[in-house]
Amino acid sequence: MELAELAVKKALKLKATEAEAYVQRTKSVMVEFDQKIASFKTVESVGIGLRVALGKKIAMYSTSILNAKEVDEAVAKAVKIATAAPEDPDWKHLNKKFGKAPAEGYYDSKLESLDYQEIVGRLTSSVKLIGEYDKRVKPTRGVLYIAISNVAIANCYEESVERKETNVTVWMRTKIAVAGLESTGNEHQEARFWKEMAFEDLAVKAAEKAVKFLKAKPIPSGKTSLIMRNQIFANILGGLLGPPINADWVQKGRSPLANKLSTQIASESVTVVDDGLMKGGWGTKPFDDDGCPAQRTPVVEKGVLKNYLYDTYTALKANTKSTGNALRQAYWLKPSPAPTNLVLKPGDMKAEEMIRETKRGIYVDTTIGEWLSNPVSGNLNATISHGYLVKDGELKEPIKGVVISGNFYELLRKGMECVGKDLRNSAENYSPTVKLAEVTVAGE
Amino acid sequence: MEDYEAKVGEIGLEKVLGMAVKRGASYADVHFQSYDNEMIAVENRVLESYSSRKLCGVGIRTSVKGAMGYASTSDLSQASLERTLGNAIKAAKAIKGKKETFPEIKINRAKVKSPGKINPVDISPEEKVSIALDANKAAWISDKIKSAQTRLGLSKDFRWFMSSEGAKITVETTLVGLMHTSIAEAGGVMEWVPHSESKCAGFEFIKSEDWNTFTVGLSKLAVEAVNSKTPPAGTYSVVVDPDVIGVLLHEAFGHASEGDLVSTGESVLSSKVGTKLADERVTIVDEGIVEGGYYCPYDDEGTRKERTVIVANGVLKSFIHDRESALQLDAKPTGNGRAQDFENLPIVRQTNYSMQAGDCKLEELIEDIDSGVYIRGKGLTGGEVEVGMGTFTFNVGPSKLIRRGKLAETVRGVVIGGSVLETLKTIDAVGEDSAVKTNVFGGCGKMGQRATVGFGGPHVRVRKMTVGGR
Repeated sequence: MELAELAVKKALKLKATEAEAYVQRTKSVMVEFDQKIASFKTVESVGIGLRVALGKKIAMYSTSILNAKEVDEAVAKAVKIATAAPEDPDWKHLNKKFGKAPAEGYYDSKLESLDYQEIVGRLTSSVKLIGEYDKRVKPTRGVLYIAISNVAIANCYEESVERKETNVTVWMRTKIAVAGLESTGNEHQEARFWKEMAFEDLAVKAAEKAVKFLKAKPIPSGKTSLIMRNQIFANILGGLLGPPINADWVQKGRSPLANKLSTQIASESVTVVDDGLMKGGWGTKPFDDDGCPAQRTPVVEKGVLKNYLYDTYTALKANTKSTGNALRQAYWLKPSPAPTNLVLKPGDMKAEEMIRETKRGIYVDTTIGEWLSNPVSGNLNATISHGYLVKDGELKEPIKGVVISGNFYELLRKGMECVGKDLRNSAENYSPTVKLAEVTVAGE
Repeated sequence: MEDYEAKVGEIGLEKVLGMAVKRGASYADVHFQSYDNEMIAVENRVLESYSSRKLCGVGIRTSVKGAMGYASTSDLSQASLERTLGNAIKAAKAIKGKKETFPEIKINRAKVKSPGKINPVDISPEEKVSIALDANKAAWISDKIKSAQTRLGLSKDFRWFMSSEGAKITVETTLVGLMHTSIAEAGGVMEWVPHSESKCAGFEFIKSEDWNTFTVGLSKLAVEAVNSKTPPAGTYSVVVDPDVIGVLLHEAFGHASEGDLVSTGESVLSSKVGTKLADERVTIVDEGIVEGGYYCPYDDEGTRKERTVIVANGVLKSFIHDRESALQLDAKPTGNGRAQDFENLPIVRQTNYSMQAGDCKLEELIEDIDSGVYIRGKGLTGGEVEVGMGTFTFNVGPSKLIRRGKLAETVRGVVIGGSVLETLKTIDAVGEDSAVKTNVFGGCGKMGQRATVGFGGPHVRVRKMTVGGR
């Protein structure tokens, strides 16, 4: 922490009008595995990201070498770049008031003392379940990633603030090859606490999926209703709603939701909040990367667009208050608005009931490329890698290689037939299973 | 100019190798890296950010009883290096049940540098900002342009590798480029067209190009795209351009030819060496140094990167390897063990992966198509592949329909999808033009690591491609 404050002082001495230092220290463990443990690594990384202003001239400089001499040089370089930079007419000032919200469930002390042997043991025994489910299925690749990170922010206006958080991610892939047929399975989970990790469940599910999809085929092109599994729609929501509600996108003319506040952009069944205080949420934290307290912001209420998400810079530009959504994708990047936990509010129908009430359609279990959908045009694109035909209320033949396309906004307005109750996350995006009507699919 | 060698000497890295062996490692290597990166972003005629970054640190890899452990730190003090070595050994010991050692490689000692004259880090911030600003201003060609983003990027990557086997290699690579996105709107429709040009070269590359013409071209394409329709969904005969074939091959085929994915059985190519996968006109190679590509003379395990022929005249010949995957598959390491940075273990990565040129002119590829699409890469926003099955999906740039052997109207929102082995089988003509490109703004992601790569190929005709649209 001292280094951050030192850097701020040094910058002011060099005639910077404002200065901010963001120090991140991360300890991480990454384990790769297939049928056995393939590699084990530990990383201790540190970095300081400096942001300095000379009036309205701004520059960023960062370094991973944290000693007084290097930080001094870094500050001098930042000031030098700022001197050469043209003015940003929209620059007002850095965040003048730090604050902490009573967020809960973002740090697991158990992860600090987790024994390497325990990690290896748990993964090894989980992977075994794959072959036990069906000996023809092989675990082909998996990765466990644990990060314990500490962030401290200091600026020229405030006492410094500090937070500590933990993240655990795992994904695993399986494959089966029998008599000229091949198929795969994959599962993933992201959580804050070690005890939440369901390695065994994921392993069995990944094995089961591979076996069930051995005979999957494409289907003819056409229009159909789609039941999308929670994690898949969570990715789509994050990819297609996340950017357009970002105040920076709105201010820069990139957002199709600009000028749409207080208008109906979706059907009444759609309510979305950005919930920075969700207990145990993937993006939950007491304060954002500008030092503003996290909060719960209604984004869409019964289909009506309520708010955009702001960091300090975009809020000042729009004469409003930050919503606590500043995020630095990495310590060397400047903060910009991003969702904390983007949550589609669940309804009350179970996924099984949705299937039961569908005469003809597709149940989408897994897609690839959904995150590549175009948030500017709203074009939704994804390829179903694992799906089932739904006939008369039951899951029937497995299908694959079917391209989904449609306009996300039209789907939100007219196509959201049903929002389920089984909320689940894919990183910071949370959604229940949903049913969409009349979606174009391209197959054979 | 920074004296990297002096820095390496100062922190006493050679001693670490000796300590590793003393503490029971049968093999150890040390990776020192000093990386400088600058990214200048201009948006809507205003400097949006100027960020400059330095990353420096050490990674240590040890093998204990055949198990590999890795640890890294950016704290270069002696105490920290010793703790990191301890972590690497502890990590290796946590893994059980592996008793292999690396296959032998030629022990290299070398000191190499990518071509380039002017160090981009030394150019004044003013000059760099003004190039990006001017290019951005030029992009505003009509009131249909709603947003324009320009980025000037540069990186300088110094890597120092040393192993207990006696290898000692330094590689210094400079990469520069410019990226631009124009967003246009008309009649409630918005489209974006991103594109970039990069080169392993000094700042002279940035000075020699006409970036204003580059951004104007992208704005014109964005306006053309918003005024066009999406194509009818279906399966078509298509011609894909070099940008698309490069990305498609890299993602959907290149990854499947990576030895680690082959050895675990995940790859669709696992049991297919010697099999005819495509027409005999198709030859695919991975090579370390190629015009327009990324500079990869040695990998991060000290292996020299030679030219690897993956597919020769349609037949699958071999895979690309690091030392671990070569061991698993009883093959030779091919110099493809690459790490994102010192915080990451080398894993099997492509270097410059491309399809070799054939003998058809573009018009010849198109004239035999009655109804199809000319798939273009300018404006491509990305793709994803499921390696296990070779299923791919890409959002490509504004493209053109083909009718009765002629290019017809532009279409937007084009998505292609399919299975790579099926797609390869339906290639029936290969163009005479082949180009390889690299990119300072992004790289290829695998196992949480990014790597800068090169990819490309000629224009190619594919007889069956699923195209998503309206």
